[in-house]
Amino acid sequence: VAQQHSISTQYPVVDHEFDAVVVGAGGAGLRAAFGLSEAGFNTACVTKLFPTRSHTVAAQYCLVVKLGGINAALGNMEEDDWRWHFYDTVKGSDWLGDQDAIHYMTEQAPAAVVELENFGMPFSRTDDGKIYQRAFGGQSLKYGKGGQAHRCCCVADRTGHSLLHTLYGRSLRYDTSYFVEYFALDLLMENGECKGVIALCMEDGSIHRFRAQNTVIATGGYGRTYFSCTSAHTSTGDGNAMVTRAGLPCQDLEFVQFHPTGIYGAGCLITEGCRGEGGILINSEGERFMERYAPNAKDLASRDVVSRSMTIEIREGRGVGPEKDHVYLQLHHLPPQQLATRLPGISETAMIFAGVDVTKEPIPVLPTVHYNMGGVPTNYKGQVITYTEGADKVVPGLYACGEAACASVHGANRLGANSLLDLVVFGRACALTIAEEHKPGEKLSPLQPSAGEASVANLDKLRFANGSMRTSEIRLNMQKTMQTHAAVFRTGSVLKEGCDKMDDIYQTMDDLKTFDRGIVWNTDLVETLELQNLMLNAVQTINSAEQRKESRGAHAREDFKVLFFDESKVRHSSGNQGPRVWRKTCEEQNPSCLKSSVKYPQSVMIWGAMFCSSLVFLQTLGP
Amino acid sequence: MALLRGCATAGRLLLTGRLSVLTVSAGQNKIPASFLVGSTRASSKAVKDAEPLRKAKTPQGRFDKPEEEKSSDVLQKFPDNVNPITKERGGPRGPEPTRYGDWERKGRCVDF
Repeated sequence: VAQQHSISTQYPVVDHEFDAVVVGAGGAGLRAAFGLSEAGFNTACVTKLFPTRSHTVAAQYCLVVKLGGINAALGNMEEDDWRWHFYDTVKGSDWLGDQDAIHYMTEQAPAAVVELENFGMPFSRTDDGKIYQRAFGGQSLKYGKGGQAHRCCCVADRTGHSLLHTLYGRSLRYDTSYFVEYFALDLLMENGECKGVIALCMEDGSIHRFRAQNTVIATGGYGRTYFSCTSAHTSTGDGNAMVTRAGLPCQDLEFVQFHPTGIYGAGCLITEGCRGEGGILINSEGERFMERYAPNAKDLASRDVVSRSMTIEIREGRGVGPEKDHVYLQLHHLPPQQLATRLPGISETAMIFAGVDVTKEPIPVLPTVHYNMGGVPTNYKGQVITYTEGADKVVPGLYACGEAACASVHGANRLGANSLLDLVVFGRACALTIAEEHKPGEKLSPLQPSAGEASVANLDKLRFANGSMRTSEIRLNMQKTMQTHAAVFRTGSVLKEGCDKMDDIYQTMDDLKTFDRGIVWNTDLVETLELQNLMLNAVQTINSAEQRKESRGAHAREDFKVLFFDESKVRHSSGNQGPRVWRKTCEEQNPSCLKSSVKYPQSVMIWGAMFCSSLVFLQTLGP
Repeated sequence: MALLRGCATAGRLLLTGRLSVLTVSAGQNKIPASFLVGSTRASSKAVKDAEPLRKAKTPQGRFDKPEEEKSSDVLQKFPDNVNPITKERGGPRGPEPTRYGDWERKGRCVDF
């Protein structure tokens, strides 16, 4: 059948034209969507979940920001400067963060918080009515020399939840068109330019092509590639996968943030306070194994040491449970009264999520994924960049923000409470950049009528897939492999073995079997599409981890314990040799043949201790 | 205006009356306090300017537990929502979430 005017004769195809399309309606997506609507652009927000159900809602913590000029009100808040926040973030990212992006974020942070507060977000207050800030997330004053800084603002217990509701409520003032429960399949790319998105309407199985001059990706992270993660079932890295299929690279995917004590099965994290109050980690032999790994600190060792120790115990066969894949956190040797007063709510948590009575049985725990530092590479304005011919190049028409993007403000390790700030600042940045460079109502560049054909063909193939392995089986294989090989404990041999196993699992995708042949609300099909996306993320993550032969931030390798210097690529700006060098990984993946190539762009010198001249240095760094 | 209000009040009483009949027939012995609240608000002359709520809470279903059981949350609310030690208004309930270095709530770590 000739397909000149429609890409599919089986699926109804609807074409839409907008000035801008935002994929994803979490914190960053909503902020970008209504920022664009506010600027007068005809915006569509395509999301597979209802906005207030996105994973941002799970964020109970707070925003880090410096609110200047607060004069030691109650002795809690003190004089603060965004440059100190900048220093903390750059240092926290283990010198891998993009200084332009971090500069932008920390400088805009106070304005962003005030703006949110003006939108109606009910931050907690001091007695004078100023926003209350507490100490959190490794923040310091005076470039690390002035003691603890209090920068963290919050909304009672539910900052992310409140943020999402505030942004959603605000967005209803403008006429953003929400396409809820539309699963974005692919980007419509032509000649290296992004011209829109093609999506599947889950409700009735129709295909929708959203043509727009500007596309913003805000699809979130990909925690679900691992067996144990705190993310929702919907965190499947759709944005990263769409970008990969478009032939663009992803950045820093090997940096995945783990927490040592996540409840087995549920994925909730148990606070370090449990160990602080005397809780101990035990293996299958009932031994307090942390004594061997950290004789002095024992269970109070730093998070990465604890995670690695737990993983080594599991690898050596001393794990507990039927599959011997986790360890126990024991609290029942502590007096129940003490538990109830010091850690109120823990018995409730343990009962709901682990099904154990914390005063009688230990809690099953294992290292759990919490955040993905990597994603779609962007510059500080939110424009997606690719790396060709030895230089960064902006991809026209494509932007990214939030956890899906890698600006990168978190670098190799994310500081606590910087993530929500990242969402709002870069969501807004995308909207501002688009408003600066384009006008509402601009004529769209022509698109080939056959754009998106491949996506529909893929959809069709999956819908009628008749192999032998179910989606859930393949997904579990992938998750277990990633948890065993690409988790906290990384060495050359383990990673190589993992890469080979992941290759094999990727090949089994050809042998998939789906059961639901329907078109209306076909969750089997959507889960399979999500699995495809997860696989691309997983393969790139483990390959990048294998290629990065150093330990930096969240990527810690046993065989390469130090940071890697590359002196030949050093760019001297004043003749001094600084102490650290950073390089970002850019990974490109060819989905059909699974060949991935990892490139390391030009290194840039970071002056570790010379922040007195930081402003001058920043200005010389171009976008 | 008074006539309208009178009709509205009568309508409300009728409504609550009907609902209380429903709850009785469902086998519950107690009429939940929420209904009494709704009906007393409707019948009191105190609320003049603001439109009183027609139903203070959503109607109690047959299998719902009575309202009083819900206030057994482990984390107690501070008086007036002000934390007595840090004087924070509208802050998180219970002990300071960041006391162990991560953000803790009910034994769960939310951020670190």
